[in-house]
Amino acid sequence: MTAATLAALTAMLVFTAVAPRLGRRLPPAIATIALTVGSLLVAGSTGFVLTVLALTWLGQAPLIAWLAEWSPTALGASTPIPTFVAAGCLALLVAAVARTAIRAFRRGRALVAVRRAHRGSPNAVIVVDSDRPDAFATPSPGGRIVITSTLMAALTPAEQQVVLAHERAHLRHWHAWWLLLADLAEAANPLLRPTFATVQHAVERWADENAAHHTGDRTLVARTIARVALLRHGTATRPAALAATGGQVPQRVRALLAPRPARRTLLAGVLVALLAFSTLATVAVERTGDALFDRVATVQDQ
Amino acid sequence: MARRSKGGLEREIHAVLAEGAQPMTAAQVRLALGGDLAYTTVLTVLSRLFEKGEVAREQVGRSYAYTAPYDSAELTARRMTLLLDDRDTDRAAVLTRFVDSLPADDELLLRSLLDR
Repeated sequence: MTAATLAALTAMLVFTAVAPRLGRRLPPAIATIALTVGSLLVAGSTGFVLTVLALTWLGQAPLIAWLAEWSPTALGASTPIPTFVAAGCLALLVAAVARTAIRAFRRGRALVAVRRAHRGSPNAVIVVDSDRPDAFATPSPGGRIVITSTLMAALTPAEQQVVLAHERAHLRHWHAWWLLLADLAEAANPLLRPTFATVQHAVERWADENAAHHTGDRTLVARTIARVALLRHGTATRPAALAATGGQVPQRVRALLAPRPARRTLLAGVLVALLAFSTLATVAVERTGDALFDRVATVQDQ
Repeated sequence: MARRSKGGLEREIHAVLAEGAQPMTAAQVRLALGGDLAYTTVLTVLSRLFEKGEVAREQVGRSYAYTAPYDSAELTARRMTLLLDDRDTDRAAVLTRFVDSLPADDELLLRSLLDR
């Protein structure tokens, strides 16, 4: 059980360290999907391992032992996990569950508020009167594209097409939901924060590449992003340090000034292998944990 | 009659006011909706819409008469304007912005990239 636990934790640590680096070198669509699915697997695996470890200690409490029909003294004698480790796992588990629940609730509330704001509107693109240059899409399905009058006025027709193509890509590929899943995985396991930042970047790159494909002009897309960023910079109302995606605009522009990203089958293969190892280790924790609890059961299965 | 959602009722009442040529009292709005809603329900929704600035009202005798200064498209635009405030981190997290704010260092870098 100790070996399986260490293997699962190692896989988690390697993923959190390696995924952001690999993600930046993968094509954006593959990076988004691989890193989000990976984040969920890794967060789930960590949660599961913490639960099993916590249970080796929590299960010695008379009430729980009675409910689960195992012997608390036998469990205490045969568990390979030291009490302080198991207690620490319980504390981490409670913190992770609470953090995830709070974030899911807050994001969910914002999601409902946003949907309520445009419910019943027949237009896919909504132009709002504002002196701030801004454009965004609300989550699919039925998401709307919102663009301010100031931004519309500042852009040439070709640049407007870039902004709309970019936002349409967000809607078509359900980007808000990939982000939300990676966001919740990060809530459960804060070590995934760099991975989440990479997913945020990959989603924007994905929409950029779509806009480039749609308009057939990579330089135009690059220039539009740079121009809008500089326009927004001039009217920024919040300190730049708060931006979760700071430093990503120049990277997006550079990526578009370079040729289209190549497929990286080998890198994607490394990620898949890592996730397969993580899953195997988690299954091993489940099996060995199950065997431990079976050994100390007061009612033996026939 | 099917139960209406809170937002659905707000939209229906707003539509009644937007179609009506003249200011309407809560009783008139209730009648225009078919008269199957409680008077207090209509009044509550009207007050809520007024608090949000989505309808206007004027004193007529001892009650208020309501008007809708915006049509439904303008109303949507008005509501969407509230989403522009990106200081609400939860709201910013569920929207996909074209570009986020720019750190100061990036400004020069971008300008040099633009000049290439």
